[in-house]
Amino acid sequence: MADNLRPRPPAAMTRRHFLATTGSAALATYLALTRPVGATGPGPALAGEFGELDATAPGGIDLYLERRTLLVGGRPGSAITINGSIPGPVIRMQEGAEALIRVHNRLSESTSIHWHGILLPFTMDGVPGISFPGIPAGDTFTYRFPVRQNGTYWYHSHTGLQEQLGHYGQLIIEPALPDPVEYDVEHSIILSDWTFEEPHRVLWKLKTMEGYYNFQRPTLANIDEQMQATGMSFGEVMGKRLAWNRMRMDPTDIADITGATYTFLLNGKAAHENPTFLASAGQRVRLRIVNASTMTFYDIRIPGLPMMVVQADGQNIKPVETDELRIAVAETYDVVVTLPDDRAYTLFAETMDRSGYARGTLAPCLGMAAALPEPRQRPMLTMADMGMMHGGMEGMDSNGQDDMHQEMAMGHQDQTKARPHQAGGELPTENLPHRLQHGPAEHGPASITMARTASRRLDYPGAGLGSDGWRVLTYSQLRALERPPGRRPPTRQFDLHLTGNMHKYIWGFDGKKWSESDLLRFQYGERLRINMINDTMMSHPIHLHGMWMDLYAGGNLHDNPRKHTVTVQPAELLSVDITVDAPGQWAFHCHLLYHMEAGMFRTVAVVRSLEGGPIHVRS
Amino acid sequence: MSALNRCWPTISALAVVLIAPLLARAQADMATTADRPSHQESAAQHQGGAPPEMTPPPLPAGMSLAEVLDYAASPAPAHFPAPVPDDRLYAFTFFEQLEYRVATDDTPDHLGWEAQGWIGGDFNKFWWKHEGEAVFEGSDQGETETDLLYSRLITPFWNLQAGAQYANEWQSGDYHDRWSAVAAIQGMAPYMFELDTSLYISEEGDVTLALEAEYDLRITQRVVVQPLVAMGFAAQDIAERHLGTGLTDVNLDLRLRYEIKREFAPYIGIRYQFLVGETENIAEKAGADTEQFLVLGGLRLAF
Repeated sequence: MADNLRPRPPAAMTRRHFLATTGSAALATYLALTRPVGATGPGPALAGEFGELDATAPGGIDLYLERRTLLVGGRPGSAITINGSIPGPVIRMQEGAEALIRVHNRLSESTSIHWHGILLPFTMDGVPGISFPGIPAGDTFTYRFPVRQNGTYWYHSHTGLQEQLGHYGQLIIEPALPDPVEYDVEHSIILSDWTFEEPHRVLWKLKTMEGYYNFQRPTLANIDEQMQATGMSFGEVMGKRLAWNRMRMDPTDIADITGATYTFLLNGKAAHENPTFLASAGQRVRLRIVNASTMTFYDIRIPGLPMMVVQADGQNIKPVETDELRIAVAETYDVVVTLPDDRAYTLFAETMDRSGYARGTLAPCLGMAAALPEPRQRPMLTMADMGMMHGGMEGMDSNGQDDMHQEMAMGHQDQTKARPHQAGGELPTENLPHRLQHGPAEHGPASITMARTASRRLDYPGAGLGSDGWRVLTYSQLRALERPPGRRPPTRQFDLHLTGNMHKYIWGFDGKKWSESDLLRFQYGERLRINMINDTMMSHPIHLHGMWMDLYAGGNLHDNPRKHTVTVQPAELLSVDITVDAPGQWAFHCHLLYHMEAGMFRTVAVVRSLEGGPIHVRS
Repeated sequence: MSALNRCWPTISALAVVLIAPLLARAQADMATTADRPSHQESAAQHQGGAPPEMTPPPLPAGMSLAEVLDYAASPAPAHFPAPVPDDRLYAFTFFEQLEYRVATDDTPDHLGWEAQGWIGGDFNKFWWKHEGEAVFEGSDQGETETDLLYSRLITPFWNLQAGAQYANEWQSGDYHDRWSAVAAIQGMAPYMFELDTSLYISEEGDVTLALEAEYDLRITQRVVVQPLVAMGFAAQDIAERHLGTGLTDVNLDLRLRYEIKREFAPYIGIRYQFLVGETENIAEKAGADTEQFLVLGGLRLAF
């Protein structure tokens, strides 16, 4: 494990030298644990120098939160460090044991740590305002909970915008039973995004100047580029642009925050620092990939190496071989790869909007590097992202005429009669309605609803993927390795619209921000279905705390995967079933940090009974 | 004919956008989201009864299952912070024009500015707009208009605003001012036009209307051409302001800016301004200029 923690050493580094620095890094970690006050040494330390701790070991562990200046991509930035580093240490736990973590807040502000995807008593969940009041400056909070699951997860601040400043790390839980995933070496791959700007300044820019960070907009200068990329004529390009203009929408609005301010990090290292992961030919390498970004979706591939996806969100799945996968913010994927030879391979993590990339290298020894792939053209949203088209044509940037033909040809195939709510009855678990028509927009000024219909998009890999001639993972391929416990047909369902006004940067559910909302009440013991309908033109990774969401991925009760975070694509209808087995109050939100901060958040209350009227989230 | 062919994709793309709502209506037999339960409706319809027997998971230390379920049925304790501060207030100040205007005739050059800003939340804001011009060579003269408004976001793209305007003008020690009541609609129209329409009723009861429309045409990611049209209307003759009934004056501006940062963009531009109709006649009778061509240079600033 230690080799994945190393900075890029000089090419000629000897094994002895390597061991020596490993030892000193271990000492540094120890010092950070025991005497973490103040920076040591003359200059700022490098970001990405994190250690590893065992939180179920006797005595537990201590985490120290401190503001420190670190070199991020070679440039000094003020970070919120955990035990001196960003990301924080990889925390290991043993399934079946009790985790004990003392968090010492040495910041000048309140903080918190949320254990993402972990089942625990709600008071240990680490969400200020829901689980507890937060950890005040100078205080220590002790997290203690039994570990009831295994897999790859992560942890992060749930306070304000602290996550943007490096307050996150990976969490790995060793299974109590033999691991069905076979591998020889493993490496932590922690993707994130970093800005040297003050995060609240970033949010202010988003709130006041639409499209502030988008430098890939349609311009007169890139008409030709668009014609060449799409094969459309000048007239067609202009027609399409006019249509978007008429709707007051920007088809290049793929990411709110881009490479214009972000440095994209892999294990705290910028692309040019090339973090290197050791593996020799023939070894089965398990990559535990976490997207700890605040706002960035990554498309991950290792040119020349197929990836066997074995876990999603910490849950074992039936292995799927693929060439590229899109990891949403807050998701985790474990993949196993085998190097066929002693060459280096590039681990390439391109951002969804193509405004940058993070990168690492898989190689048999340090100092090696492989070629970097050509960056791809930035994607543009299509009529399909407004529910104007569906079926096999998705992802093609066809012109308006084709969209309309498609719509007219397909429009009457997927009709489903309005299904009134069946109180108490069991809901179907297979062949769910494929498509819904949008009712009148009722969500007020906080919602710009472009979608005419909402449909299942489980096969759609997402904007900018699927036409490169290689395989891309989709949700429709995810199948639980074994039937998870508690699976039964749901007896209640409701629709939840993901809404936003991208023009004013207001985000919410059903047109309401958290502060305007009521408790989202679940009844303890019920099996509940939430049909999420994305009315916006952005993808939102939706995260439920405390309980699994069983994703309707086109499978059945046995094999639909469990997720803690599900991406809902533009104009998508996505259903999750929840076994409501965790009493207390929990957060439910979009995991794009700035969407969450803008109000795309709910308090879920797991209560005894749903009787009585709505209860506002604030007393 | 070939021109028509070239236009056809444009026309058909437009047609898609225009026809789509009708098309959606034609599929009325598809299930619609309006018929489906929201979480409140679903909860209200739920005939839950007692929770099933199940082994409770590990609970918070010192709490029973019943206590946790009771706790969960109330909002968070008052001393807890909001989990997300989504009702925070923001402030924005925007000098869209801060420029030196060089007249191509013999009138003096002047400094001109147009700024606005707001303080508030997502829906309700205090919004101010301020514009003016001042001559610094020769006789001291100038004018300003300041609108102080309550602004409410009534649809995703439109603000409805109401408040008061203070306007003044001065020339060589001669000073006039007036207060007016204002109602305005400000926002973004289809095809991305920024529109601001304000209706004024002065303390004398005179009614005027000001309309401003602008559009950002992006040449590159940082070079932007902005055409702007401003028009004034009067509902009656206003002698002391030299205005006649009807359309009174028009400004046609074109600015070319370079966005060093989005909030910091130097620009150059031109303005053609002219009087219209009865207002033009009034000026002519007084021997004043009725049109002017100006060359501008300035800075667009936001903070």
